[in-house]
Amino acid sequence: MINASAAPAAYAPTTRSTRFAAYLAGLRRQHIAWVICALGPIFLLFVLIRVYPILETIRLSFFRYHITQRNRPFIGLDNYERLLEDDAFHTALWNTIQFATLAVALTLLLAFIVALLLRSIERAAPVYELLLYVPVVTPWVPASVIWKWIFDPIYGVLNYGLSLIGVPKLAWLQDPNFIIYAIVMVSVWKLMGYFVVVYGVGLRNIPEEILEAAELDGATPWQRLRYIILPQMKPLILFTVIICTIIYFNIFTPVYVLTASAQGAPAYDLKVVISEVYQNAFVFYRMGYAGAQSVVLLLFVMSLIGLQFYLLRDRK
Amino acid sequence: MFKEKPIIATAYFVCTVLAAGAVLPLAWIMMTAIKPAPEINAWPPSLLPHEPTLAHFYKILAEENFLRYVLNSLVIALGSMVSILITSSLAGFIFAKYRFPLRGVLFTIVLATAVIPLEVYIIPLYLMVFQVRMLNTFPALIFPFIIMTFGVFFMRQVIMSIPDELLEAARVDGASEFWIYLRIILHLSKSGLMALGVFAFSEAWAHFIWPLVMVTSKDMYTSELGLAIYQRQFYIEYGPISAGAVISIIPMMIVFALLRRHIMQGIATSGLRG
Repeated sequence: MINASAAPAAYAPTTRSTRFAAYLAGLRRQHIAWVICALGPIFLLFVLIRVYPILETIRLSFFRYHITQRNRPFIGLDNYERLLEDDAFHTALWNTIQFATLAVALTLLLAFIVALLLRSIERAAPVYELLLYVPVVTPWVPASVIWKWIFDPIYGVLNYGLSLIGVPKLAWLQDPNFIIYAIVMVSVWKLMGYFVVVYGVGLRNIPEEILEAAELDGATPWQRLRYIILPQMKPLILFTVIICTIIYFNIFTPVYVLTASAQGAPAYDLKVVISEVYQNAFVFYRMGYAGAQSVVLLLFVMSLIGLQFYLLRDRK
Repeated sequence: MFKEKPIIATAYFVCTVLAAGAVLPLAWIMMTAIKPAPEINAWPPSLLPHEPTLAHFYKILAEENFLRYVLNSLVIALGSMVSILITSSLAGFIFAKYRFPLRGVLFTIVLATAVIPLEVYIIPLYLMVFQVRMLNTFPALIFPFIIMTFGVFFMRQVIMSIPDELLEAARVDGASEFWIYLRIILHLSKSGLMALGVFAFSEAWAHFIWPLVMVTSKDMYTSELGLAIYQRQFYIEYGPISAGAVISIIPMMIVFALLRRHIMQGIATSGLRG
């Protein structure tokens, strides 16, 4: 989504003297001192708050780093070797993969279908987009709290609705088979609206004339979708797949809220990678080990994004 | 896009069902928040309360000290918003309108951090705060949110569309670069700034894992943290919990309602994330 830099090429010097004048003007236009004063501190903040912690996470993963202990020895790949035998981490990683795959697919597929359908009812579309966007502005914690109440096994309105069509009460958050779908449902509910709007922007940019021409030539709706709309939307689909993958692989808040057992309301403790990181780093203070878990997640997501780039790249 | 009759009918049906699905859970929690306790656990449940009450709001705000949590969240969100607006517009301006050595490299470094979320590098961030003994303070709670990668990218996009001639004209009149930033750039990117401001505010307001690891005493809870902890401890009291959820949602809804055009436009220009 990065536009080409808008460097003005308005000056096309022809003779040597005008070229030299343009060079001098260029130097003055650069305002180096101002650039350093204005950008320097901000860039340093980026280094301090983003770049350094990312690199430091990788460094930490090679150390045994317990926050209360002075001795923090370098232990090479020991943390990673321990990860290979850590069943809790394997479960967490597998759960995260299952959750993210399902959530990415459902969120984007639904959003794409809705965005497509909205282009057929263009006049009503803004109202629908607005309504679908309301969950997007709802923060994760209240969103999860809302759904926890809807999923409640005894008083929950979801079970009430299902009971009307004869389905017995289900323990959505207590049954290990259901909880992952419950969290997928909350996530799709929360984020779909954003992607509906994004796809809507992309679809509106497809020139109507092409579609009309295809229609005149007798292309069916399916053919128009398959051969005109989808190819046009490919870069945007790649962009959304990447964003969505990053969000869902790092899921934590809804899992934390929906799987929290409380008095009178047990819940199945579904593990995801970030909750393992949180557990190890901030409950057991095993910073190095948690760092290794973060790095594994990071590498996994990065290679996935690389794969998505490869699969959805422009073949020209 | 498709004008076939069956497709239009399907479109109305599917979109109406999904829009209802999007909004009804929120309506449901608002109704739960104003129902007296016996009605909340009534079976079968009724959508509208028979005897609406504000008792749950009183309980959560006054007795559970949620008012304090909301104020904490406001301080953090506003602090973050102001800082992100300044840093993003200034850095975006520099990246958009000046040519200098390493510009591409610096911009790439800033952008590259966008694909790695805070959850991944939260440990060193925590250790930095821990080592300067600042846990449980406002500066520590705002600290990761004083800059935003996406903000820099977004403001660069916005500022690039401001014509260079305007800047040149001001320079001819003897304006300093800082004056240009203050009087021309900020003025002409107002719509973008508003969209980014909303986004920055809601990001900081809604953030959960950072306050979760930063806060060590109840008086520094944010509204998100307070709500998450409260529902863990008092799951059965769904009245106050719902009231807490409504309180945490309302500021977002107000901001969104006021500025929705700017937000939608922001998404259109650069995929502003909400």
